[in-house]
Amino acid sequence: MNDSKALRVLFKSPVTDDMIRFLTNTTLRVIPCAKETKNAYPSPPASPSENGKRSLPSLMTFITRLVRYTNVYTSTLLTATCYLHKLQKILPKDAHGLPSTSHRIFLACLILSAKYHNDSSPQNKHWAEYTDGVFCLEDVNLMERQLLQLLNWDLRVEEQMLCDSLESLLAPIRYDLERSRKAMARNQYHQRNMSASSSTSTLIGTPSLQSLKSLPALPKLPSLPRLASWSSSSSTPKTLPNKLAQPDSSIVYMRSDYSTATLV
Amino acid sequence: MASSSQFKQLEKLGNGTYATVYKGLNKTTGVYVALKEVKLDSEEGTPSTAVREISLMKELKHENIVRLYDVIHTENKLTLVFEFMDNDLKKYMDSRIVGNTPYGFEMSLVKYFEWQLLQGVAFCHENRILHRDLKPQNLLINNKGQLKLGDFGLARAFGIPVNTFSSEVVTLWYRAPDVLMGSRTYSTSIDIWSCGCILAEMITGRPLFPGTNDEEQLKLIFETMGTPSERTWPGISNLPKYNAQHPQHLPKDLGALLQSQTREKMDLALIDLLYGLLQLNPDRRLSAKQALNHPWFAEYYQ
Repeated sequence: MNDSKALRVLFKSPVTDDMIRFLTNTTLRVIPCAKETKNAYPSPPASPSENGKRSLPSLMTFITRLVRYTNVYTSTLLTATCYLHKLQKILPKDAHGLPSTSHRIFLACLILSAKYHNDSSPQNKHWAEYTDGVFCLEDVNLMERQLLQLLNWDLRVEEQMLCDSLESLLAPIRYDLERSRKAMARNQYHQRNMSASSSTSTLIGTPSLQSLKSLPALPKLPSLPRLASWSSSSSTPKTLPNKLAQPDSSIVYMRSDYSTATLV
Repeated sequence: MASSSQFKQLEKLGNGTYATVYKGLNKTTGVYVALKEVKLDSEEGTPSTAVREISLMKELKHENIVRLYDVIHTENKLTLVFEFMDNDLKKYMDSRIVGNTPYGFEMSLVKYFEWQLLQGVAFCHENRILHRDLKPQNLLINNKGQLKLGDFGLARAFGIPVNTFSSEVVTLWYRAPDVLMGSRTYSTSIDIWSCGCILAEMITGRPLFPGTNDEEQLKLIFETMGTPSERTWPGISNLPKYNAQHPQHLPKDLGALLQSQTREKMDLALIDLLYGLLQLNPDRRLSAKQALNHPWFAEYYQ
């Protein structure tokens, strides 16, 4: 019951730095990946054909960029965790990855989460562009196909699975819901104030939103018509950078907005 | 995992929403199958319709749902191997048009098909899946008189709090009034409306509400079922495309209307069931389980 409510609060909230850190750590636990070492062995400079490819960003940077470019729903983003956990169980214990494996795993899980859970979602060529040149379209198609095969096409997600996978993000919300419920019971008069202030102070509750805040903001969560336009081959996300300049910050806004809305 | 060499491709059976369907023969077992071929566009990757159809259908094992046996996934092509069915309900109805006059089915066949349709839908809903495209073309039948739900390309899981739903779902003639008015919070009742339209169509041989666009579709529905209001359907005025200026129509006698188009005798229980399935207010529509327990089906469950 409380889990269910906390999950709804979590999914209605904007993507936070904590969520991205959580996703990064979850992805890194799926399979041990070799570090991209620069000095271990001397190696020649990149071949001319590889000059176009960017060097591999950290997983956290990679995820942060994807979130910014796609304006992905919080629910779609966090539901990818279920696929990460499934994959962790499927892969052999001694499996090892390349430096980019965790990036591939995360992106493939996110793409399938978007395709399975949304009525319209970006095409793979757009996902490839969102990686800032880390992966090309063929890479993206291949990782998607491989993940579908590994998961045996089973993308169903039950609420209990979500609650288990997202426990560390849900716990503070549950605590907060419980606290405001008690506060409300204690003092009917101050019902509104209490719930508002307690939510703001305790929900998820780390102040480290700076890295996201400092990024240029994207327009608000995508509406379905805009997502639908992604499916048409003519539109490309190249229009996005213009919108990046918009001053209104939407990735992060005060939590009291939603917590009071859901609590009262 | 099957390979495509295992199957002999036979004649083309039709074009689905996003694929071509062929009859196929499993060379090892000698069993006929339906091969649904999806051409993969490299820019799109695996289409989300295929992702959902496969993920949902793999686990839906029921005698009134077409079985998905296997999936063959290569770089350029995705092939879904389905249980073979002889016909679909649309073609079967068309085959009964004499001259220009459509004929409905005998009442016993109408009942048997509707019962099987509702069994399949009830199973989907129990498994928290909405079909979202129920129509005669997507109901497959075989020579034993079995009816099975097919084409889950628009289907979706529900029950977890992910995102809103698109209101651009269900073929127009079978689309519920709440969805026509832009509702994105629909649930299982979306499929029930379609089951009501299909029931009426099997009785008369004609589509119940054959609109050509969203507005005309609503107009046809309201002309027969009456124009709803905040009184008969609390909350209707909050729907995105609700039009308070809609001409007011009183409900017609649906039973008499359909009876005039068939020679079969329609009993009161059938008319009551039709009204239960075709409630304008989605909250008042019967569930598939309730419909299966309706007195009209008494001969099946008693």
